[in-house]
Amino acid sequence: MRVSKRARWALVIVAAAALVLAAAAAARTSSSSAKKPIVIGWAFDNKGPMQPFDTPALAAAQLEVAKVNKKGVDGRKIVIKTCKTQGDDPTTSKTCADKLISQGANVIFTTCDVDLASPVVQESLKHHLLTIAPCIGTDQMGPKRFGKAGKLAYSFGNVAQDEGSAMAQLAWNKGWKTADLATDTVIVYFKAVVTAFKARFKQLGGKINYETSYQDPALQQGSTNFHNAASGIEQHPAKVIVTVTSGSYGAQLPFITDLRTAGVNTPILNSWAGDGTYWLPTSGPKVTNYWYVTYANAFGHDPSAAVNKLAKTLRAANPFNAATGGFVTGPAAIDGLVTAIKRANGSLLGSKLAAVMEKFHKVPTLSGNVSFSKKLHSVFGREYRVVEINNNKPIAKGTITAKVVPNSPDA
Amino acid sequence: MTLAFLNLTWPTFANGLALGGVYALMAVGIGLVFGVLRLVNFAYGQLIMAGAFALAFGSQWGFPNWASILFCFGVVLGLSVLMDLLVFRPLRTHSPAVMLVATFAVAFLLQNIALLAFGPLGKSAGALAILNAPWDIGGVFIKKIAVISFATAVGCLVILQLLLTRTPLGLHMRAAAMDFRTARLLGVRANWVISGAVIVSGLFAAVSAVMLSVQELTVVPTFGTQDTILVLAGVVLGGLNRPIPATLGGFSIGFANGILGGVLPSNQSQYLPSFLFAAVIVVLLVRPNGLFARGGGTVERV
Repeated sequence: MRVSKRARWALVIVAAAALVLAAAAAARTSSSSAKKPIVIGWAFDNKGPMQPFDTPALAAAQLEVAKVNKKGVDGRKIVIKTCKTQGDDPTTSKTCADKLISQGANVIFTTCDVDLASPVVQESLKHHLLTIAPCIGTDQMGPKRFGKAGKLAYSFGNVAQDEGSAMAQLAWNKGWKTADLATDTVIVYFKAVVTAFKARFKQLGGKINYETSYQDPALQQGSTNFHNAASGIEQHPAKVIVTVTSGSYGAQLPFITDLRTAGVNTPILNSWAGDGTYWLPTSGPKVTNYWYVTYANAFGHDPSAAVNKLAKTLRAANPFNAATGGFVTGPAAIDGLVTAIKRANGSLLGSKLAAVMEKFHKVPTLSGNVSFSKKLHSVFGREYRVVEINNNKPIAKGTITAKVVPNSPDA
Repeated sequence: MTLAFLNLTWPTFANGLALGGVYALMAVGIGLVFGVLRLVNFAYGQLIMAGAFALAFGSQWGFPNWASILFCFGVVLGLSVLMDLLVFRPLRTHSPAVMLVATFAVAFLLQNIALLAFGPLGKSAGALAILNAPWDIGGVFIKKIAVISFATAVGCLVILQLLLTRTPLGLHMRAAAMDFRTARLLGVRANWVISGAVIVSGLFAAVSAVMLSVQELTVVPTFGTQDTILVLAGVVLGGLNRPIPATLGGFSIGFANGILGGVLPSNQSQYLPSFLFAAVIVVLLVRPNGLFARGGGTVERV
């Protein structure tokens, strides 16, 4: 077949045009893929004992995302898709994880207790997604609990060993040289903080006078043995009473009331779990000489102006969202995730992001500098805010940092 | 001072008596309605929850304690009467299964209304918290609320016994409990008797609400639910058909709960409900009519 010169030229031009068009289309496809949003799937407790921690962290994270999205993350926006776990019900939690993953979540966020978070974490890890808890406070959010797959699991909460150590340091600095311990055994975090307190307190030279435990009725329905725990402590006076439990659970207020009405006015020291004023009695005996360490002072007296500003904004929208200092863990997790994505050159692969996060060393976030290690996938080295409640009023009492982290897996 | 066995202390013993007393009142409340209506009211715990919330709000609004308690009684009695008028009365002629399901529905409805209205964290009922202070009784520190709960329960049960044995209403209620149809043929007014039982049952729920909220202080939407389940087990354990065995069953399970809760090592007390329900099963296998029921007639189960 003979083709004329003109026709040959025409064919060349058409082919070149087709190539240009194909290249343009490919470029457009790739650029639209690059612009796809980063989807965070957030399974949170909307009505159970973890609600006072999950909901504020989520609300604050949404504000942080709005801030981040003004510039974007390498040109991409962050979108948060949420699912309510209805009191961290295991079946609902798993369904939530599946739903969020099917909606295209690149990263999964979960509730603030490792036991309650497990259904979501396991489902997310099965899909090889980076899995973040804003405020799980134990070293179990990682390989320790979830094995090899747990390499993709991180928490922006404080590791309990660090928090317990800071509490021991505070007690020692205050001159409280003997302690009674009452452990609420219903969640891992409560137990781990008391264990860490005990280890560090004894290291410092403190003496444990008496130890007891109880099960909070929020998770162990019908349990009333916090009364027995209080009775035991009444009979063993010490300079400080250490318990780690939450005001959103059922035992904290009656446990304290038992002690105070029995005439025991010893300082009571709690962790971030006991943060806030929402649980204080509106009538009857007021809570006094009650201390805790926390992420941030939620009452406008934090050393960080940015934290105070955020607390004010959150409180204006809904006072409950600044009920505890835990709200800063939401923005901290967003800040950490953004840093990880940037350091992973925009990759959203769970393994790549996890590898980057493992190397986090003093990464700045709204909640202060954040570090992780191979074994510790929860934050250590934070500067804790100390708050005392006196006559139902929270008073800022400075800050404290753990000098030593006893029983750390890294030690 | 420690009792001679099992690390049992006098305060734990007193707490057991107090919880037994409150559970006995709840058992009577449930048993009275069962007696006349053949209805196991699973929503009884929600009456207690409503009363406890009323007490908490009374405290929050600055009511004096007596007014808060009165408010609590008003709310519980009002709700009891409403429950009877709106749910039990229209369904009275239906099968026990239908009525049972209706009480479940009412229970969940009230619980979720409370959840929506007051949130999962609930309210503190702190006005009477001072009753958690101990009395020094011969060197043993016993909580005031333990003594008050037990004494109140005994007082209420004595008054109930007088009501049942010395008044026409009591006579009619006993007759209705034995055989409702025959009692009606003999002139007992059904609505009067049933309303009487519902009101007395509500009064006992209100007393239980006050006692439990003083001890637990934080009132949440699930308040009273677990207690009601345990009391129901106790009522079956004692013997559902008669008030005294039912009361003794309620007392036994409350007392056992209080004692075991204090005696079991705290790392094992999470198994407490399992121990209790295992004991209930064993007792029913040995005495299907109930632990305190007289006679050994066959029980129709299917």
